[in-house]
Amino acid sequence: MQTILSLQNITKQYPGVTALKNFSLDIREGEIHALLGENGAGKSTLIKVISGAIAPDDGTIYFTRSRNEYNQLNPSLAKDEGVEVIYQEFNLIDSLTAAENICLGEKYGRLVNYEIMKKKAADIFKQFNIDINPTALVSELSTAQQQIVEIAKAVSRDANILIMDEPSASLSVSEVKCLFEIIYKLKEKGVTIIYISHIIDEIFEIADRVTVMRDGNYIDTKNTSNTSRKELINLMVGRELKETYPERDTSSQEVMLEVKNLYGNGVKDISFAVKKGEILGLSGLVGAGRTEAARVIFGAEEKESGQIFINGKQVMINKPEDAIKLGIGYIPEDRKKQGCFLEKNVRWNISFANLKNISHYLIVNQKKEEQTAEKYKELLNIKTPSLYQIVKNLSGGNQQKVVLAKTLAVNSEIIIFDEPTRGIDVGTKQEIYELMCELSKQGIAIIMISSDMEEILGMSDRILVLTKGRIAGEVQKEDFSQDYILELASGN
Amino acid sequence: MYIKSLALDVLKKYAIILVLVGIIILFSLISPYFFSWRNLVNIFIQQSYVIIAALGLSFVMISGGMDLSIGYQISLVGVITAMSMVWFNLSIPVAIMLGIITGICLGLFNGLASITLKVHSLIITLGTMTIFQGISYIITNSNPIYGLASEFKFIGQGYILGIPFSVILMIIFALVASFILNKTYFGRYVYAIGGNEEAARLSGVNVKKMKLLIFSLSGLFVATAAIILVSRAGSATSATGVGTEFTCITAAVLGGVSFKGGSGKVWGVITGVLILGVLSNGMQIVGLGVYPQYIAKGLVLLGAVGFDTYQKTKKGKDNKILKNDNSKEITTV
Repeated sequence: MQTILSLQNITKQYPGVTALKNFSLDIREGEIHALLGENGAGKSTLIKVISGAIAPDDGTIYFTRSRNEYNQLNPSLAKDEGVEVIYQEFNLIDSLTAAENICLGEKYGRLVNYEIMKKKAADIFKQFNIDINPTALVSELSTAQQQIVEIAKAVSRDANILIMDEPSASLSVSEVKCLFEIIYKLKEKGVTIIYISHIIDEIFEIADRVTVMRDGNYIDTKNTSNTSRKELINLMVGRELKETYPERDTSSQEVMLEVKNLYGNGVKDISFAVKKGEILGLSGLVGAGRTEAARVIFGAEEKESGQIFINGKQVMINKPEDAIKLGIGYIPEDRKKQGCFLEKNVRWNISFANLKNISHYLIVNQKKEEQTAEKYKELLNIKTPSLYQIVKNLSGGNQQKVVLAKTLAVNSEIIIFDEPTRGIDVGTKQEIYELMCELSKQGIAIIMISSDMEEILGMSDRILVLTKGRIAGEVQKEDFSQDYILELASGN
Repeated sequence: MYIKSLALDVLKKYAIILVLVGIIILFSLISPYFFSWRNLVNIFIQQSYVIIAALGLSFVMISGGMDLSIGYQISLVGVITAMSMVWFNLSIPVAIMLGIITGICLGLFNGLASITLKVHSLIITLGTMTIFQGISYIITNSNPIYGLASEFKFIGQGYILGIPFSVILMIIFALVASFILNKTYFGRYVYAIGGNEEAARLSGVNVKKMKLLIFSLSGLFVATAAIILVSRAGSATSATGVGTEFTCITAAVLGGVSFKGGSGKVWGVITGVLILGVLSNGMQIVGLGVYPQYIAKGLVLLGAVGFDTYQKTKKGKDNKILKNDNSKEITTV
């Protein structure tokens, strides 16, 4: 088969991270080519390069059909070359009909012609044997139907390279079957498909070839007919541990937090216990219910049923305020949206959760506030010109440290870290690991949610794996293996 | 270089005060009557109630909310206070207490409605505004309430040691507002909810309770403004105070209170009100009627907002450069 798209030595750097390193890949005409890799492997960056959403720092993109070679694309050039992308978040306009969405941006004569639009949409739906009313509003359609409208939109523009970013992520089993049928039909029509997925079984079912990526590097491309699930997992995660994870004594048996039969916020029947000084890892794919469970425990989301015990005593947590009073701290996954006050200064942020404790009646003791902020700035080595710097102007790693300082200043006994090192440079990561170990030595119980496999294996004393809101399994330290956890996480 | 940029920063930060000084100088040059002790005191007397109401609104706006019902809160509080004295012969202190309690209740109602209906308070108060209007007109049946006791009129018209009593009240309320916003954790929470509500909630702030308290506090300020206004006017009607909400919003925005919440200063709001006050007073003296004043006020607001946006986008760019410098420094160390 002939090559349709050829990427040569693509490099893309973000501040502190190299998203793609000297990446080369040939996509063949008419194939279904899967991209596989962990979070942060560079898949999204790669598709953004192909679709012209971002410009690479180096390398070339060559389209065989048009014989055009580019150093960088822009979205309209990419469309001219026949590249269409279906992102995880749909780009549909909810208040318009399916037909209007499909024909968005196209002109038929001077005025809007609903008949042509309706016919065009109906034709595409018919091709795929799909029963969607072209005049239905997108907001009334199910997720799967919206997905199909997205695909129809791409098809109507005569895409010859269609990129699908985890299209099955939000679909049920039967809907995935339907999706695959559509993909086969597209393949019959000669459309080349780049398919991104976390789910290895899916890749074996649908793809002709699969390329594995890791940390922005090209690892290998295999024919799905002569590789195995095990081999792909090894390629995906097989690497030496880069970071060193500090040793700790983990002999305590005293249970600090116990959760029994917790339901709510999409979480089903979660029970576990964390001991004093223990680091409990929560693993699973995105959306498996890790953050959801943490937020229910912390009182940020409504609990439907279940009991929570702290030091053996049953407690009622209805809102974050209650949890904090009981000694639970939560470091949210999105530091900008949920963690810090970007427009306020470092001191203001650090002291915020602890304000009531350093106030006399209503009045904040500004001296104590200054001392607290100074103490945690030193302790966490926050790099800022002064305590009066606006947090927005700090780097991501230092912003994260400010969020940590805010939670630590309250002296919590149980701390939930949700993706504590996401988007942070290696040096700061190491500092955060050391801090977590220090906290555990002081007897603080830690729950760590992380999508970074190395991190969770390196830091945890025990790992709970979640799938679809339930606990899929508990893994003891002596049984830690990436393969096993991935197996559990993908629901097998 | 550093001093120059510092001076520039100070200039930007206090630009609004320069605008106020600028128009005062302008009117002083045009008319000899403008820059007299008597006239300047007059401006303060005229604006004292607006300043108090605008400060009340600022609490709501800094926390990310909005209150369009302030005008009819003033109307209703004024009518109830006057009614208690004139129709029910209640003593002045009791009537004032009733007025203040009414104001707090109206604020509480706004707060309750916005947390239970989970709709932005802009929409909520659009609704409550007409409810308050209706109640106020039902009570008065569109008739003014005359015959307020002269002791009551002292609040808006009297002097203590040569200083108008309403101005003294205004200064007290400004100090209280400034104290709450700058010194108490309640004030911090107000800024926090406006800056990042979710982060505030996850940091242990009871956001719902805070919203109720903020609206009630705003109600207290607005009720005080209403009593001053009625006392100065010497009578209460349902039309008293109507439109104050827009003056207050304009003044708050002029004074640097962010529409999105999270920032704003007491001195800024006061300056904002004074700019509008000086503008209308000055134009009046110069001989321009009410209608040109509307145009001038609108232009000043648009100018201020435009300047603010320009400054912020520019600042954003500067900060980016600064951030890169920092990261370089850190990596080389």
